[in-house]
Amino acid sequence: MVELRLPRNSTVGKGQFFPAPAGAKTVRTFKIYRWTPDDDKNPVMDAYEVDLDAIGPMVLDALIHIKNDIDPTLTFRRSCREGICGSCAMNIDGENTLACLKPIKSMEGDIMINPLPHMPIVKDLVSNLDGAYAQLRAIDPWIQADSPPPPDGERRQSIEERAKLDGMWECILCFCCTTSCPSYWWNGDRYLGPAVLLAAYRWIADSRDEHTGDRLDSLEDTFKLYACRTIMNCTQTCPKGLNPAKAIGRIKELQVERKL
Amino acid sequence: MNAPVSPRHDVMRSQLGRARGLGSGHSGTGHWIAERVSAATLLPLSGWFVVQMFRLGGADYEDVAKWGGKPLNATMLSALVISSFYHAEVGLQVIVDDYVHGKAHVPAKFGVRFVTGLLGLLGVVAVLKLALGRPASKA
Ligand code: SF4
Ligand code: SF4
Ligand code: FES
Repeated sequence: MVELRLPRNSTVGKGQFFPAPAGAKTVRTFKIYRWTPDDDKNPVMDAYEVDLDAIGPMVLDALIHIKNDIDPTLTFRRSCREGICGSCAMNIDGENTLACLKPIKSMEGDIMINPLPHMPIVKDLVSNLDGAYAQLRAIDPWIQADSPPPPDGERRQSIEERAKLDGMWECILCFCCTTSCPSYWWNGDRYLGPAVLLAAYRWIADSRDEHTGDRLDSLEDTFKLYACRTIMNCTQTCPKGLNPAKAIGRIKELQVERKL
Repeated sequence: MNAPVSPRHDVMRSQLGRARGLGSGHSGTGHWIAERVSAATLLPLSGWFVVQMFRLGGADYEDVAKWGGKPLNATMLSALVISSFYHAEVGLQVIVDDYVHGKAHVPAKFGVRFVTGLLGLLGVVAVLKLALGRPASKA
């Protein structure tokens, strides 16, 4: 039924405070969501004062510093630290983005860091994206063609055909968009969400793919595709500057085009 | 509290199985078109209605009945009533899809259809009554 309140075990309490070292000049406070499955406690926000002069410019630098030098129990994902792996996606100051691309100085006051919204939590800032990965797998994100490829090389595309993939191949599957989408929050079990629909359109728009109709068939659904209400949170939040809402709009146009 | 009891899982189906779910419902585009078409038809119809209401402002029952008795006006009025309630139905479905989950979902969707359908019918009957019925008036 309609849910109006958070479940009781989701209420977030106040956590520990870790003050800055004496003599630190440029101090910023990071308030970070902490939760572990190892005890029965509710999540809390721990506050860490960080000396910005001692670290690099990005939020990820602050997190690594906290983990290395202040509190080794803090858990988060990161790998490339240059916006290409998508693993450091989290909610920073109310916006889903990549910690490694978010400059600390672009924000005022205390900085709140939460995991990606509305996903199950593994621990602290690590959310469980298994469901979203499975949704990606479910749209068959690989080329499907029945004509054999030329014996002496790869399947070819014109420059114009290749250009249609721009704005989509750049997606790093960080799921910042999907987890910012209210439609996904309410119906994430049935709605595919912007990241997966962008990936679906990437293959629909690929001139080498020969299963366009099957792909459109499998998206022809009140929820899978049409639960998108064009709220545009996805496009607004994408740290790679992509436009999933536009790709979703294109899929809907194609659905209409083949019906009328 | 520390010894973790191995959790009891109510759902052990694979994530891929859950993601594929029941597959495509093979509908949705029709609804999406209906939302837009009904919104588009409502624009001119409500414009017409507002203009007519200004013209009839202060008129007595006789005049309004005469106005509503003209086939063109009755047609426009019924079209307005039908488009409005159709648009309401299509729009309310979306709200139900967003916010009503679980067992209540299907009954709520039928409920919306039933109520908007009935109200629309009531509106059309009222228009027909105005258009076809002879008001027993003392001129
Ligand atoms: S579209 Fe943008 S926000 Fe969404 S998964 Fe791809 S890179 Fe991340
Ligand atoms: S445009 Fe669609 S996918 Fe993007 S946030 Fe809105 S509802 Fe979600
Ligand atoms: S660490 Fe790879 S995207 Fe941030």
